[in-house]
Amino acid sequence: MAAARGGFGLGRPGWRAKADVVRTVFVARLKIIARYKGAIFMESLIPIVFAAMPVLLGTTVAAQAGRDPGTVFCETLLRASPTCTTNYKLYMLIGAATFSVVSLMLWLIGYWVRREQETGTLESLYLAPARRFWVLAGVTAYAFVRAMVAFVLAILLGSLLFQVNPFERGIPLALLFLAIGFLPLWGLSFLFGAFILKIKEADSVIQVLQWVLAFLMGVFYPITLLPPILRATAGLFPPTVVTDGVRASLLDIGFFYGSAYGSLAVLFAMAIVMPLLGYEVFELTERRLKRREGVGQY
Amino acid sequence: MSKKKIVEFSRYPIAFLAMFVQIFLIIAMFLFASLAFTPAGTPAGQQRELGAVVVYGFIIGLFLSFTLWEIGFSIREEQTRGTLESLYLSPASKVSSLVARVFAILLWSGGLSFVAILFVGGVVGGLPAQNAGLALVVLVFSISGFLGIGFVFAGVTIKLKETAQLLVNGLQFFFMIFSAQFFPFAALRQVHPAIVDGVSRWLPVSYCVDAFRSLLIGAAEPELGLGWGWEILIVVAFGVLSPVVGYWTYKRIEKSARRQGTLGEY
Repeated sequence: MAAARGGFGLGRPGWRAKADVVRTVFVARLKIIARYKGAIFMESLIPIVFAAMPVLLGTTVAAQAGRDPGTVFCETLLRASPTCTTNYKLYMLIGAATFSVVSLMLWLIGYWVRREQETGTLESLYLAPARRFWVLAGVTAYAFVRAMVAFVLAILLGSLLFQVNPFERGIPLALLFLAIGFLPLWGLSFLFGAFILKIKEADSVIQVLQWVLAFLMGVFYPITLLPPILRATAGLFPPTVVTDGVRASLLDIGFFYGSAYGSLAVLFAMAIVMPLLGYEVFELTERRLKRREGVGQY
Repeated sequence: MSKKKIVEFSRYPIAFLAMFVQIFLIIAMFLFASLAFTPAGTPAGQQRELGAVVVYGFIIGLFLSFTLWEIGFSIREEQTRGTLESLYLSPASKVSSLVARVFAILLWSGGLSFVAILFVGGVVGGLPAQNAGLALVVLVFSISGFLGIGFVFAGVTIKLKETAQLLVNGLQFFFMIFSAQFFPFAALRQVHPAIVDGVSRWLPVSYCVDAFRSLLIGAAEPELGLGWGWEILIVVAFGVLSPVVGYWTYKRIEKSARRQGTLGEY
């Protein structure tokens, strides 16, 4: 805030001050989480456990029919796409790890709003001269870094455990999908934050929403197995496109929107629309709440 | 305390509904996952049996998870609200206080389990439900055993505070995998026989899952291979001993926290 222009409390923070807000929030959050090393470890472990369950279930199902699980999984993929993979373990691991990124982003941002409400500091934040946008940018940047650390650790540890190699092909393209996918996720997190601000009951909403996401993202199965209406709905969901893109890049299978260009174009459009929509809804919810009961009520 | 919990529960209808939706989404996800590995032309009977494996294992997992979370979490809540010390100064029985914390959630889990069976049964065209009476006895003793683990976690929460939640989370996933809640034990044996022989067989929770599931499916023998008599005996012993050991552990931790003056510290 040292770089604020003007005086007598009427000044607007300049660019340096805004950057400082983002940095301060980001560093503060990182310092807090650094005290909970177990939490970071668990975040990396959970996707592996998540991936292990369908892998074990699938192995049994195929074995009961006397078939190789990889071959059966490949046949399932071939029903809707000209290409397939027998590497079902990596397929599940990527799905679970991407899901953990989405889930963490929503959880960390949604729960941040709720926690500030509960500890009574949300209203104080509104009295500060910094715009919420910069505070939120700091929180989301932290959420993204934390989620990516969990993602990378989960992929590395999971690959060792499942004895699969995720580095055979398509790494740059997969990273591109993740990088562009961050923007719509950011917007989705704002939408989610607005929702939490409005309805308060963060825990239950986050929990149910993360399972809705997991269901629509096809964490454990190709979304081509879903009924047509659900499949179409899932395709409009940014996390589905990200998961599909990362999987298709690393496993050399078909993209949901026909090709890498098609999926990237859709994701790019989402990357423009979602943050704008998310922040607009967040501001609208804030304005309404400020006019009525205030943002601090929980 | 139970009444208070039920009233509190009823005040959060969204949480109530969310839990319901969540259960169905999890089951649906596992059903779709199994579909991805089901070869074309698989007989319906086989699919039904698989649906039963998933849903019956899930029911045991549901009770275990809710018991673990609810007892530990509600102690933590009392700590953060600052009411734990006052509660412990009251002459109320500590066992009743601990059991009452999970009463509402156990009732709700029972209802959820029933609807989950109907849901999966509807999807796969009916689920096998043999030996329902004996399976219910196994379930009751299993829940009693889980309460014991819950008591231990109540103590651990007093000692470890926030970190205890992490431990519960880890333990929940540990049981999910090693007690084969969503898949048969044969799947673990396929990965490595030592997983079943070295880990699963040493967990009472595995016998709860195995006995409950195998009874309802109508299997000739339970999967862990000890025979019906031994497996049911282990579950009964777990149901009787676990609460006693759990409560004893809890009391020790609580006493130590009182002596150190850290009971209400969070």
